[in-house]
Amino acid sequence: MLGFLKQVGDYAKESFQAAKYIGQGLSVTFDHMSRRPITVHYPYEKLIPSERFRGRIHFEFDKCIACEVCVRVCPINLPVVDWDFDKTTKKKTLKHYSIDFGVCIFCGNCVEYCPTNCLSMTEEYEMATYDRHELNYDNVALGRLPYKVTQDPMVTPLRELAYLPKGVMEPHDLPPNSRRAGKLPQEILEESAGAEPKA
Amino acid sequence: MTLAEGVQLVAFGILVLMMVGSALGVVLLENIVYSAFLLGGVFISMAGMYILLNAGFVAAAQILVYVGAVNVLILFGIMLVNKRQPFAPVSQAWIGKVATGGVCAGLFSLLTASVLNTPWAISSETPIGEQAIVEIGKHFFTDYLLPFELASVLLLMALIGAIVLARREFIPDTEPGEPETEALQLPERPRELVSSTPVGDGDR
Amino acid sequence: MNQGIDLQGSFVRLLTELGLPSGAAKALWLPLPMVVILIGATVSIFVTVWLERKISAAAQQRIGPEYVGPLGTLQAAADGIKLLFKEDITPAKADPILFTLGPAIVVIPVFLSYLIVPFGQNMVITDIGVGIFLWIALSSIAPIGLLMAGYSSNNKYSLLGGLRAAAQSISYEIPMALAVLAVVLMSNSLSTIDIVNQQSGYGILGWNVWRQPAGFLIFWIAALAECERLPFDLPEAEEELVAGYQTEYTGMKFGLFYVGSYVNLVLSALIVSILYLGGWEFPVSVSWIADLIGVSETTPWFQVIAASLGIMMTLFKAYALVFLAILLRWTVPRVRIDQLLDFGWKFLLPVSLVNLLLTAGLKLAFPVAFGG
Ligand code: SF4
Ligand code: SF4
Repeated sequence: MLGFLKQVGDYAKESFQAAKYIGQGLSVTFDHMSRRPITVHYPYEKLIPSERFRGRIHFEFDKCIACEVCVRVCPINLPVVDWDFDKTTKKKTLKHYSIDFGVCIFCGNCVEYCPTNCLSMTEEYEMATYDRHELNYDNVALGRLPYKVTQDPMVTPLRELAYLPKGVMEPHDLPPNSRRAGKLPQEILEESAGAEPKA
Repeated sequence: MTLAEGVQLVAFGILVLMMVGSALGVVLLENIVYSAFLLGGVFISMAGMYILLNAGFVAAAQILVYVGAVNVLILFGIMLVNKRQPFAPVSQAWIGKVATGGVCAGLFSLLTASVLNTPWAISSETPIGEQAIVEIGKHFFTDYLLPFELASVLLLMALIGAIVLARREFIPDTEPGEPETEALQLPERPRELVSSTPVGDGDR
Repeated sequence: MNQGIDLQGSFVRLLTELGLPSGAAKALWLPLPMVVILIGATVSIFVTVWLERKISAAAQQRIGPEYVGPLGTLQAAADGIKLLFKEDITPAKADPILFTLGPAIVVIPVFLSYLIVPFGQNMVITDIGVGIFLWIALSSIAPIGLLMAGYSSNNKYSLLGGLRAAAQSISYEIPMALAVLAVVLMSNSLSTIDIVNQQSGYGILGWNVWRQPAGFLIFWIAALAECERLPFDLPEAEEELVAGYQTEYTGMKFGLFYVGSYVNLVLSALIVSILYLGGWEFPVSVSWIADLIGVSETTPWFQVIAASLGIMMTLFKAYALVFLAILLRWTVPRVRIDQLLDFGWKFLLPVSLVNLLLTAGLKLAFPVAFGG
C-alpha cells in the first residue's frame, strides 16, 4: 500500500515538475516577444559580406598560366582549363576556363593555391538562375566584378554582428562611422611594426 | 400548414431518402470502405430523425456514440487491416446469395406485417422536450437500473479485455528453442571504444 | 438575474409595427443570427491567422507579414484569394468523391458548433437543452472526415496522418467530455447559458477556474489536442508525415482544412472561456457596477452597453486563450505518438475521472459553492 502511495506521489511530483518546466519555457517565449526583431528586409536591406567572405570566384584570364593546379587541389576537380600547346613559343595558351558554381562548394582551395593569383573570392552570393546550367560560368562571366552592396542606391547596407560596436546587437539605425569592437587589422600591423624593433 | 410543419415535412423527406439510400449503399456496394462511410450517413440521418421527434439528447448521443465512436472504430479496423486479396470466385456462390436474399425478404415481410398490424396510437402526452435528460436519468437509476448496470459491466469487461490484449508484451520473432539466425544480428563488428586507444604522441 | 436584452423580441416587434405579419417577421429573423455568426466565424479566421503569424514572428524575433495592408492585416485575405485561384488537383488513383467530401465533413461540424456559443444573455443562436453536449457530439464527427481525406488521397502519409488524427481525437474526447461533465455537474444544466449564469454574481471569483482548476487544464490540453495544435500536431507532423492527411490537397479543399483548423481553435477557446472563464461576465459583477454608478440594471442604455461589452469580454477571453495556444506552440516540442496516447489514456483520463469524483463529492459536501 505504502509503495503504491509513494508511486502516486512520485508521479504527481513529476507531473508538477513537468508543468513547472513548461511554465518556464512559456516565460522564455514570452520574454522573446518584447525583443526587437533582427530581420534584415532582404532585397531592400543587405548585410555587408565580411572581409573573408567566400563568394563567387573571380578569374583573370590574362594572368592564368594554365598550370591546372586549381584543378588538382579542387576536391572535385571542378575548374575546366582548356589549353593548347603552342609549339613555337613552347608555352601553353589558355583557350577557355570555366567553373560550374552549381557544383562548387566555395572551399577556396583553388584561390589558395593558384600560383599567379588569378583566382580570387568575391562577395557576390546572389546567383539564383532558372536553369542550373546557367551556373556554369565561363571565363567572361568569371571575369565580371560584382556590384558592391555599399554602393547600391537601392539597398541599405547593414553591418554584420561582428562588425558592430561593442554591446550593440542590431545593425539598424547605427550612427555612421561608429567603430567596430576590437582592433582593425591595420592597427594590429602597426602595433606589431612598432613593437618589433625593441624585440 | 405553418412554416414549421413545412420544414418538418421537407426535412423528414430528405432524411428518409438519405437513410434508405445510404442503407442500401451499405449493403449493395462492393467497396467496403464506401459501405463503412455510408454507415455513418445512416447513423447521422437517424440522429436527424430523433431531432424531428423532439429528442435532442438522444440525437446527440446517437452522433457521439455511433458516428463518433462505433463508425470511426469500424473505419479504423478496415484501414488497419487493409489486406488486398485476390478475389477467388467461389463456385455456386449464387446459393449463398439466394439464401441471403431469402432471409432478408423474410425479415422484411415480417417487419412489414408487424408494422401494419401494430395499432400505432399517437401519445396524447405533451413531449417533455428539454426535460428529457432529467427523465432519462431518473429512468436509468430506477426502473432501468438492471439493464443499465449490465451494459456497464459488459463495457467494463470489454475494457479489461482490451487492456489485457494491449499489455501483452511483444512477441519474439523466433521460437524459444531456436538459435538466433544470422540475419537478425547486427552487421557491424563491436568496435573498440575511442578512449581505449592510447592518446598523445601520435598527433605531434 | 436580469434578462438582458431581447433582440429577437425587439426585431419582431419592429417589423410587425411596420405592418408585416408576425410569422413573416419571425421568418425574417431566423437566418439573421446565423448569418451574423457565420460572418463572425469567418472574420475570426482572418484575425486568428494574422495573430498567429504576428505572434509567432514576435516569439522568434521576426517581423511577420508586413506589406499586405497595414501591419500585414490583409495577409490572410491574400492567402485565401491565392487558395481560391489555385488549380484544384485530384491526384491520380485518388477516390474523387471521398476526396472532395473529406474536407467538407471536417469543416461543417465546426461551423455547426457555433450554434451553442453564447455571447450574451440572449445572444446565442439556439439555447437548446443539450447545449454543450451537442458540441461534444459534433466534434466527434470530424475524425470521419479526416479518415476519409487520409484514405482517399491514395498516399501512405495521408493515410497515416488520417489514422493518427482519428486516434488522437478519440482518445482526447473522453477526458474532455469528463471535464465538461464536472462543470455540468455544478451548473445542473447542459445549456451554455445556464453554465455561464451559474458563474455570475461574484465577478472573477465566481468563475469556474477556481472551482475546477484541474478540469480547466485537462479541458485546455484536450482542446489543443482536438485542434491539432502544436504540442499535439502529430497528424500533420511535417518531419514524419509531410503534412499528414492534407498532403495531397491544394486549392480550396486545402483551404477548407485550413479554415476548419482555425475556426476550431477559436471555437475551443470560446468554449473554454464559457465553461471556465465566465463567458460574457466581467471580472467584476455587473450588478455591482450598476450600483456603483447608480443606475438600475434594467435601464436600456446600460443594458446595451453591458451587452456589447459582454461580447467584447467573451472575445477577449477567447483571444487571450488563442494567444496562449500560439505561445505554447513555440514553447513546447511535439510529443511522440506513443507519448500522446499514453498522456491521454494514462494521465488525463484518470485525472479527469478523479476530478469528476471530487466534484461530485464536493457538490454533496458544500452545495452552496458547488451548485447543489
Ligand atoms: S591554378 Fe591559377 S594559373 Fe594555374 S590553371 Fe588554375 S587559374 Fe590558371
Ligand atoms: S572553390 Fe573549391 S570547389 Fe570551388 S572550384 Fe575552387 S577548389 Fe573547386
